[in-house]
Amino acid sequence: MTTFSLAEAVNGLCVRITAVDLDGEAAAWLGAVGLHEGEELVVLRRAALGGPLHVRTGGGGEFAVARDVAQRIAVTTVEKASTETAAAHLELAKGAEAT
Amino acid sequence: MSAEPSCHGAPVGPKRSSDGAPRSREARGALTVALAGRPNSGKSSLYNALTGGDAHVGNYPGITVDILEGNVELPSGLHAVIADLPGFYSVEATVDKSTDEGVARAFLETARFDKSGRSLVVVQVIDPTRLALGLRLTAELLRARLPLLVVLTHKDVLAREGHTVDVAALSAAIGAPVVLVNARDRATKAAVLAAVDDHAREGNDTQGAGHFDAAKVARAVVKDVGNASELRRRRLTERVDSVLLHPLVGPVLFVGIMALLFAAVFLVADPASSLMDKLIGLARAWLAGVFGKNLFTSFVADGILGGAGTVLAFMPQIVILTVALELLEASGYLARGAFLVDRLLRLLGLSGRSFLPLLMGHACAIPAIASTRIVRDPRERLTTILVIPLMTCSARLPTYGLVLATFFGHRSALFRAFIFVGLYFAGILTALVASWTLRRTATKGKGLPLVLEIPAYRLPQIRVVARKAYQSGRRFLRDVGTIIVAVSAVLWVLLTVPMPGSTAEPGIDRSVAATIGRAIEPATRPAGFDWRINVGLIGSFGAREVMVGTMGVIFGVENAADDPAPLTTRLREAKKPDGSLVYSTATGLALLAFFVLACQCMSTVAAIKRETGTWRWPAFVLAYTYALGYVAAVLVYQVSTAFGLR
Repeated sequence: MTTFSLAEAVNGLCVRITAVDLDGEAAAWLGAVGLHEGEELVVLRRAALGGPLHVRTGGGGEFAVARDVAQRIAVTTVEKASTETAAAHLELAKGAEAT
Repeated sequence: MSAEPSCHGAPVGPKRSSDGAPRSREARGALTVALAGRPNSGKSSLYNALTGGDAHVGNYPGITVDILEGNVELPSGLHAVIADLPGFYSVEATVDKSTDEGVARAFLETARFDKSGRSLVVVQVIDPTRLALGLRLTAELLRARLPLLVVLTHKDVLAREGHTVDVAALSAAIGAPVVLVNARDRATKAAVLAAVDDHAREGNDTQGAGHFDAAKVARAVVKDVGNASELRRRRLTERVDSVLLHPLVGPVLFVGIMALLFAAVFLVADPASSLMDKLIGLARAWLAGVFGKNLFTSFVADGILGGAGTVLAFMPQIVILTVALELLEASGYLARGAFLVDRLLRLLGLSGRSFLPLLMGHACAIPAIASTRIVRDPRERLTTILVIPLMTCSARLPTYGLVLATFFGHRSALFRAFIFVGLYFAGILTALVASWTLRRTATKGKGLPLVLEIPAYRLPQIRVVARKAYQSGRRFLRDVGTIIVAVSAVLWVLLTVPMPGSTAEPGIDRSVAATIGRAIEPATRPAGFDWRINVGLIGSFGAREVMVGTMGVIFGVENAADDPAPLTTRLREAKKPDGSLVYSTATGLALLAFFVLACQCMSTVAAIKRETGTWRWPAFVLAYTYALGYVAAVLVYQVSTAFGLR
């Protein structure tokens, strides 16, 4: 399965985190916040001029992830979201994209 | 709803007797109830519901920051102290001790092994709409073997989203009691305190607990009850976000909202200040009429009323600003502001995390400096602390208001509001340039990764906002009632008592204060300041809000023989012996430039010392802000005068 960095994910794409390439302390904290291996995300939008990404997780949390952090998070596309929440978010994100 | 204790083993915690009851019930509260949870989980609302908003700063060994606490009585009669911990994500991930997470962890360690015999119950507050996220922290707290009670707040929001939580199943899955409440509901207090009481008496054994999959548990216990409003609500949030967080529209709206906020502070409060000025004039006239012109009248009218009374007029501005910032924060918009400005702040060596403390600095630098604990990166945090004093705090408003009314009183209120907003942005711009410079010099180094949680939109709780407004008003009144009255009284004496050794006719010109003010005139003349302003600046070294009061006392004493007139008129019409005006618009602008930049606040200096643990950084802040303030005042005065501004 093709993996790519979260920073490359287009708006509205539902992805799953496969690896976090940060030092142990930073990765542990990121995991505690809610961005850990196996978590599903939807990229909602990104701020202008290389600003952070706005993502929503399967757990229901929303985060601003700095672009340099997003580049260190490896993800893979999720064709069919494994949770209802993620599926709903995916639908919403697509709706937002369409508007 | 009552708690559902799931385990009945020996209670956890070293300070309990064999029957599980705390040993010491006579101590200052026999039980410490620590409210813990992720940021934006609803802790403050629950704290408010449990304590009725009553709060004082607790004193905990090893904890150098303020933890708010309130006293409550449990149904069994046991006295408990509710401590509101800062929001945190983890007790396992390594963190800087001075951040919120470090503070919360230190608190839990201290309270757990409390030497006075107080027991501990940790109440973890979880937003059930983000249950999986909250349960990750639950697992960590249980693995740390802390006596835990889980309180799910926002029951109402959950219901509106068409969900409910199977509390019994959740309690069984995690191995700790769980309560589901709505923090806005009056029954919440009784339900939570009863659960705390049960937990304190029965305890629960958390050995081996905390090893569950948070996401799986959340999926298993959250039930759909067939309400389709969740999607509608989320769609609405999406629509609002698509405008407020739009890459182009979002930043424009953000700057507009901030400008509107600062302008509103001025436009709403300006009439109140003018009214107070008139009332003080009337009071002075009444005093002179009843008691005649003597030393007592001068002391009360010129010293106390002229000083403290004048400053009192600015309370509406301070309260309005506090309410506005609190509404923005509680609604969830400030976190979105951080998202919008993150890129800009990163260019300057900061990040979106520094945004909230920087914005809070517009109300008061002291809580803003304390709030930098949310910034995990130590270098970024230090930079933020060092530039917060440049933010236009509410204590500057009296001087801004006085200068604008004196020199721009003939212009429209909108024009003055425009300058007022400009002063705010001047402070912000200087802070950004300062942080850019600091991150390349004194605080340079690689930063930590940034991830910011964006909370759901929430309707602010009026009670919580009102409490914050009340606290800010009370703090201001306390300052007026103590520091400013004292400084005004001392200044009146120094302006009335002649300089020892002076043989000339007694008068304000020969007073101790005037002599000191004149001695430094050679240094301040290039900025257009005379001895009176110098005395004001010396008086306001410790607290800048004293400036207006000081000027009130000086002009009150100087013109005691004349009919009382508003301070603005006295300032505008003050004349030199040759008949020319003492102050020009250029003087006013130079004074504003000085006030934008100089850190005239000893409480801020003390807060920086407390947060950095050294005198080096407070000394640095004093040195660089005063140097900037002086240079800017001289430049503004000289350039304004060169352009013929009178």
